[in-house]
Amino acid sequence: MTAMTDADFRRAIRARTLRRNLWLAFLLLPPMAVMFIFIFLPMGSAVLYSVYEWDGLVRGDFVGLENFREVLFEPQKSKFLFNAFKNNVIVFVSVMVVQNGLALVLAMLLAREPKGYRFYQVVFFLPVILSTVIIGFQWKLFLNPVFGLVNNLLRAAGLDSWALPWLGLPETALPSMILVNAWHWVGFPTLVFLAAIHRIPKDYIEAARLDGASEWRIARDIIWPLMAPAVTIIVVLTFIGAFNWFEIPYVMNGLEGAPGYSTDMLGLLFYRTAFGSISATDSDFGAGSALAVLIFLFIFTVSLIFTRLLTAREIELA
Amino acid sequence: MQTAKQKNSSLDRVLIQIFLIGNAIIMLYPILMMALSGFKTNAEIFTRPFGMPSSFNLDNFKVIWTQTDVPRYLINSAIVTGFSVLFLLVMGTMAAYALSRYRWRGSIMVSLFFLSGLMLPLRLAIIPLFIQLKAMGLTDNPLGLIAIYTAMSLPATVFILTGFLRSLPAELEDSARIDGASELRIMVQIMTPLISPALVIAGIYNAVPIWNDFFFPLIFIQSPEWKTLAQGLTQFFGEYSINYGVLYAGLTLAALPIVVIFIAQSRRFIAGMTAGAIK
Amino acid sequence: MAHIVMRDVQKRFGNVEVIPGASLEIKDNEFVVFVGPSGCGKSTLLRLLAGLEDLTAGAIEIDGERVDHLSPSRRGLAMVFQSYALYPHMTVRENMSYALRVARTPKAEVEAKVREAAEILQLTEYLDRKPKALSGGQRQRVAIGRAIVRDPKVFLFDEPLSNLDAKLRVQMRIEITKLHRRLKATMIYVTHDQIEAMTMADKIVVLNEGRIEQMGAPLDLYNDPDNKFVAGFIGSPAMNFFDGTVTARDDAALTVELSDKTKVVYPCANPGQAGVGDAVTLGVRPENFHFDGGDEPAIKGEVYAVERLGGETYLYLQSTAGHETVVHAVGDHEVAVGDQVAVNFNPARNHLFDPQGRTIR
Repeated sequence: MTAMTDADFRRAIRARTLRRNLWLAFLLLPPMAVMFIFIFLPMGSAVLYSVYEWDGLVRGDFVGLENFREVLFEPQKSKFLFNAFKNNVIVFVSVMVVQNGLALVLAMLLAREPKGYRFYQVVFFLPVILSTVIIGFQWKLFLNPVFGLVNNLLRAAGLDSWALPWLGLPETALPSMILVNAWHWVGFPTLVFLAAIHRIPKDYIEAARLDGASEWRIARDIIWPLMAPAVTIIVVLTFIGAFNWFEIPYVMNGLEGAPGYSTDMLGLLFYRTAFGSISATDSDFGAGSALAVLIFLFIFTVSLIFTRLLTAREIELA
Repeated sequence: MQTAKQKNSSLDRVLIQIFLIGNAIIMLYPILMMALSGFKTNAEIFTRPFGMPSSFNLDNFKVIWTQTDVPRYLINSAIVTGFSVLFLLVMGTMAAYALSRYRWRGSIMVSLFFLSGLMLPLRLAIIPLFIQLKAMGLTDNPLGLIAIYTAMSLPATVFILTGFLRSLPAELEDSARIDGASELRIMVQIMTPLISPALVIAGIYNAVPIWNDFFFPLIFIQSPEWKTLAQGLTQFFGEYSINYGVLYAGLTLAALPIVVIFIAQSRRFIAGMTAGAIK
Repeated sequence: MAHIVMRDVQKRFGNVEVIPGASLEIKDNEFVVFVGPSGCGKSTLLRLLAGLEDLTAGAIEIDGERVDHLSPSRRGLAMVFQSYALYPHMTVRENMSYALRVARTPKAEVEAKVREAAEILQLTEYLDRKPKALSGGQRQRVAIGRAIVRDPKVFLFDEPLSNLDAKLRVQMRIEITKLHRRLKATMIYVTHDQIEAMTMADKIVVLNEGRIEQMGAPLDLYNDPDNKFVAGFIGSPAMNFFDGTVTARDDAALTVELSDKTKVVYPCANPGQAGVGDAVTLGVRPENFHFDGGDEPAIKGEVYAVERLGGETYLYLQSTAGHETVVHAVGDHEVAVGDQVAVNFNPARNHLFDPQGRTIR
């Protein structure tokens, strides 16, 4: 027997626990610090900043909800807000129908593993990996009214009257951008849907086929309900993406949502308000922060509602 | 009956192929045209918009390589993306390891701390972030971008890696402990190599958006010295606004690195980029 | 080479008492098997000894030295895991040498030890393979090799054979026993399979709900179990139990009436352990039945299944009192499903358990 007492042994075990806790702290503190400094601190400050007056980079007096009143109720400003909001809603709905609808069809077809389906997956996904800036510029060139690829093709097909200045007309500018966005992103929901379909046990589909169900019935009655979780995720991601839409309109038609604010978005408006723009106003951090808080609250609330509703549907269908 | 059904399904097959091929053309044709136009002179672009370039001469690319800042933008993007991915993988692994391999009080709270980052759109905090980075001397500085990208990517990275780390058997750890390995050694030598596929997935998941990002450099980088590719392209488009061949060549060049990697590693890319959306 | 003492070892996870208190001693060079149903705490006990879990209270000594504060690697023991826990990204050689490399053993020595262990286990030609490229039995041997290389004082085995198929299991059982003779090390082996325990152990420790039910040599446990749990757990097929009531008691015997009214006189040294009217349980091993008739008590019932194995036959009876009863007979026994049979047993060779499940001796 050694001379150590029972208490000594307890202490030795406690020292081991302490060493383990230090090790955990070593693992956790750096990432937590980075997250705190560069995410939580600025997010918190955004709320704080929205209730102050700002003069450039200098914080002024506490003004309560004045900034919010200004952006929401002063007609000079609120008309921009509501116009942009309307455009974001249009973007969301159109993207849901055009892009995600097409993605669903493509995924259902690819799930049957037709010849060359690996090739199709790669091709459909190719634009997804490219920078929005590249895509935006590329299509800006293609949509050029005089020499752009699109109008050239239309003229070559004898549809001269269709060769419009697509990005220059208020009626066609936003739809054009939405189509460009669909072209850019369609591969993403396609492959997410496809992965979800692949996770459905083959037995279900085979059982339905033995029951004599047509491919259409199988798609509608078996595959669609069982891929519900993927649908939830895509709807929420599309919503968040649509209300953060910035790069495509910025690159293709500039910060002012030309022509005539027909492609103005909340993201552009926020940027203009916060950092100023050539034509409009000076930089206003107060109003900008108020806008940011409003946009965040809106996106957060609606995402939560979507998630709730769609998860309830998942459970019902499962 | 049987034959009728078979005919029907072979007709189905043809229709499906037509639809898919049509889509593939729509996806590929613009990219192909972009690349081909990069070899054309301005005159050719106007006169023979659909045709092949008269020769595959590299004049336009030479202009970009020698007379513009695009090569520098490429290097800057590579630096920013490379370091961000390095830091976010290292820190993400550290946090995920602590959360997945040990039982301790408060681990749920810390998990929530990281997860809540998934829901915070940092773009909307751009004003305070701008003021904060300016005060820290991190504007016009690639470190600022690296820090932001690392922080933004951590929640998803921790989320992805935690899932993979959890699936590793505890007996491996115990075995290494009995073999005398320290906790650090177990993490670095035993456990982390086993999640290397997950590290690739998390790396791609984050690297692509970082490489392509336009928004944060737009706000935090002003001097051409540190502009990144996506942001630098806007500058370049302003300068060469009428030399279309050069513009197309610039776009092609900017797209080239990631397209090449994607084609070589398409499966990993697809798995990586959809990792956040597939449970 | 180690003498192990566990003194009133306790382990709690939160509010759950996994080991309420266990004391045991393991002699040098002994092959000890911890056996018990899943969740009985046998693995926890092993992990406490290994240092993979910290004690809540109590003490562990190896060769007279307290070790319960030491990290696993400093206790001088090696462990073979159920899943083998081979490092998948390392070759067999790297797996076996890992502990030595961590301990910065000179290269030549590492190489020599790996060679030696590989030879013992016939792994020499697989040294440069990854675990993925090995069969289950080979992986198992690598796991053992990894332990041997370290020259431990104590080998710990945590259900090492449960992932192997039946044939390999028998083979590995013999190999491990051989290895024990060859290495002359203390080995502690955890299993839920009582056949492994019976065939391998010098000493069996039967655990149930965190408590040690009985310790002893395999045949002692088989022939003289301390309680109903051990009696039922050791032996395959399991001991048959019949409910009964004590109807009379004298100095050297208890008279028990079984639920089918059969009267059994059970000779014992301490009849005082049960009183008249107590509900007791009679235990009869399948091989203790015979068909000789005579005046020995009998269990009557209908045969509902027969298993003929050639050298032996198992009869499954539904007794008149409703007990499912297994009977073992040597040779081929002429009996058919549906037959009414009576099987006799000698009360003196069987076991009686008091209302608390303790053996009445």
